[in-house]
Amino acid sequence: MSLQIDFGIEGGLAAFPGLAKPLRIDCANLAKDEAGRIEALVRRADFFGRREPAHAAPLPDARTYTIGVDDGSQCRTLRLDEPIADDAMRALVAELREHALRLRRAGAR
Amino acid sequence: MRNGPAAPQRHRCGCRAIVPPELLRRIAQNGTKPQREAALATLATDHSLRFARATAQLTGGPPRRLALVAAEFVPRRTVFDAGHREALPGTPVRAEGQRAGRDTEVNEAYDGLGATFAFFADVYDRNSIDDAGMPLDASVHYSVRYDNAFWNGRQMVFGDGDGEIFNRFTASLDVIGHELAHGITADEANLAYLGQAGALNESISDVFGSLVKQYRLGQAAAEADWLIGEGLFTRRVKGVALRSMKAPGTAFDDPVLGKDDQPATMAGYVHTTADNGGVHTNSGIPNHAFYLAAVALGGNAWDVAGHVWYETLRDRHLRPNATFRQFAALTVRNAAQSFGAAAERAVATAWQDVGIDTSARSRRVPGRTAGRAPARRGRRGIA
Repeated sequence: MSLQIDFGIEGGLAAFPGLAKPLRIDCANLAKDEAGRIEALVRRADFFGRREPAHAAPLPDARTYTIGVDDGSQCRTLRLDEPIADDAMRALVAELREHALRLRRAGAR
Repeated sequence: MRNGPAAPQRHRCGCRAIVPPELLRRIAQNGTKPQREAALATLATDHSLRFARATAQLTGGPPRRLALVAAEFVPRRTVFDAGHREALPGTPVRAEGQRAGRDTEVNEAYDGLGATFAFFADVYDRNSIDDAGMPLDASVHYSVRYDNAFWNGRQMVFGDGDGEIFNRFTASLDVIGHELAHGITADEANLAYLGQAGALNESISDVFGSLVKQYRLGQAAAEADWLIGEGLFTRRVKGVALRSMKAPGTAFDDPVLGKDDQPATMAGYVHTTADNGGVHTNSGIPNHAFYLAAVALGGNAWDVAGHVWYETLRDRHLRPNATFRQFAALTVRNAAQSFGAAAERAVATAWQDVGIDTSARSRRVPGRTAGRAPARRGRRGIA
């Protein structure tokens, strides 16, 4: 089964209700190369095996990302505060952020 | 947090010295004879006390502070290029005094840091973020298509924007002032970044970010646009800015970003757990109170309203978990102490208009009901 990902963004320099709404990314509906890229990033980040991220006191205007991944046999939700130290997780967030923006723009047309 | 010892003594004393040096200089030039004499006497006192502070620092402070005294009120800026990576600060590309180069983001960050430093030095006699000459560092070109800017506790961080919704984040002077003001708030009051205290934290950054821009442009309160982040949106976005202090809730209404949902009054207060309890949403309420107070007081917003807010930020009674009402009560008291009954009324009315009652019946300033002031937190309070 392909991945289903829920992605949400909180905070940042301003509150944007349109960007804060959680978004569902279903890899089954994506082009094969795009789905493959996201699934590879999830694996590289060891999303299901990694430790729960630590949460320090929030930094002013930094953002918090909520990522929920369901691969059909397991599901997990992680919250990550900026700045994200882990390279693999940061790459996954960047990819999802870009993808979410494209989806929102497409939905707004 | 403040480094080194606390300032040996306050160099502002009572109502007279709270008037900004820049305003005093204008009165000394243009006022009536008694006004000129009073202004000159105050400037002389302020200079003497600043000299006394410098002397005390030279004799009693740690070695780190010696250079600060010699170079007092001189910015020490460094702009770094993060090279589209996330490791901070990156490569230094422009240090203090170096000429502008070809990189727009570097030049804007450098100039914005300078304008913010100059504002706080000229108007509030403050020497950088910690009032002790803290270097001002900023990194530009952070990450890839990064559409945000933030203060990481030590420096400012700017993304280039994604080019579709956001332009580069150095484009807005008030945003640079906003981020540096977070550093000042942390240094003075350490307001929690949560709930009403967090919304106050955000609002204080908007207030001083807007004042930095107004001061740079020489705009009186009635002339200012009171927008935060004008110029950050690309032309594709239906909106003028991130926020409006004059009319919260009207800054943008866009198919992708959604509609600006900042309330202007307590009637619209948003109860939420998102964004640390809606810190960027409910900040619209104290933002609007400041706007109303500044316009009612007239003239330049930084002269009276800005001073009241600044002294409140430094007030030893301002707690890290302050509520809107507690902060409002302190502004009313500081307005009365520093500028008299008319200012007190204007500030109280502004809070009343956004739904926050600061009347004596409802006002309860923390620690002020028991006859003696609470223990100091090691910070300066109103003299």
